[in-house]
Amino acid sequence: MARLDEFPEPMRSHLADLPCPSFQTHPWTEGPDLSKRRVALISTAGLHRRGDRPFESMTGDYRVIPGDVEAKDLVMTHVSTNFDRTGFQQDWNVAFPLDRLRELAQEGVIGSVAAYHYSFMGAADPASMASSAKTLADLLKGDGVDAALLVPV
Amino acid sequence: MGALGHYLEAEGVPTTQISLIREHTEKINPPRALWVPFELGRPLGAPSDVDLQRKALTAAIELLQAPRGPVPADFPYEGPASTADIDQDPAVWACPVTFAASSGEPVGDEALASNFKQEVAELRNWHDLSLKSTGRTSMVHFEPDPLLQLLSDYLLRGDKKAPGTDMPFAVALRLAAQDLKTFYFESVIARPGATTPTSKAFTRWFWNETVAGAVLKAIKEKCLDETDEAMRMNGKLLLVPIEQG
Repeated sequence: MARLDEFPEPMRSHLADLPCPSFQTHPWTEGPDLSKRRVALISTAGLHRRGDRPFESMTGDYRVIPGDVEAKDLVMTHVSTNFDRTGFQQDWNVAFPLDRLRELAQEGVIGSVAAYHYSFMGAADPASMASSAKTLADLLKGDGVDAALLVPV
Repeated sequence: MGALGHYLEAEGVPTTQISLIREHTEKINPPRALWVPFELGRPLGAPSDVDLQRKALTAAIELLQAPRGPVPADFPYEGPASTADIDQDPAVWACPVTFAASSGEPVGDEALASNFKQEVAELRNWHDLSLKSTGRTSMVHFEPDPLLQLLSDYLLRGDKKAPGTDMPFAVALRLAAQDLKTFYFESVIARPGATTPTSKAFTRWFWNETVAGAVLKAIKEKCLDETDEAMRMNGKLLLVPIEQG
């Protein structure tokens, strides 16, 4: 579905006009074999624990999601009305594949699942996430994470 | 999403990611990305399709072991055609709820609010049962009654009150609109004999055949007349999808 020319107007223009930076650098970090990696999920779906602060602004802030979170305690307050939420409402793995990740860890495909995961709200300008990302990198390393899976919505 | 990959990778954290909009990922050019042919909102494919979710997840993670390659890489499987971009014929998914109140000529706000109350009451039983059987609701903040109250009071009197919360009214109103759609979805799929609509079939039904859809469109228009910038932003973008005008 998601090539721009497959969206009807005015959605196509809306998506095409979203801020979308380009970079001069090409960072590349290696890690150990997959079976030894510790994996964290980083979502931009505006997810957080029920009772945590809803996403209100475009400031690139994020929420912490503990690794033992359950589906019934994870909610979505992304500001956009222009994507499907009914998939997530039926099965959180559609946007936050924590059950699948836990299975891969149990089977030894990956080493382990991180103690903490994170969510941003993707309508924020990507540039506004830059400073949060530095903090986040330290938190991930502190948790022993050497693989971050970024999941959009 | 792609930009975060750049930032984290530059700080020494290996990243991989799922891409939904190919052109965005091509422009941002993150270290690793898997482009999937799924609709927005469903980056892992389809609800309860464990096999598809697993394939997408594994393909994205395996990029971490691959040499630097084209970005994005392509997911080697088809998307779920029945739930992605094929619009469901109304005859295939017919909502089991027929709202007498939702058909007919445009009505004034008073009648709209009255019909809205009736419609929510009709769905309420099924939502309560759904919650009891699944133990989960994706409604974020509001119980059905306060939700109805907040939306009706703003529609009829312009009241900007969100009892039980200290968040700005504009934020409460946006969350209420989302919770209302969630309430309708969770209610209609809990009805006996109900099948689950595709996202498009649900969207079409909600916005064209329910009083709730008409209420949110009326509230959108009121928001456009507000002086508060956050309320106007609700009116412009955050209550009604772009495709619903």
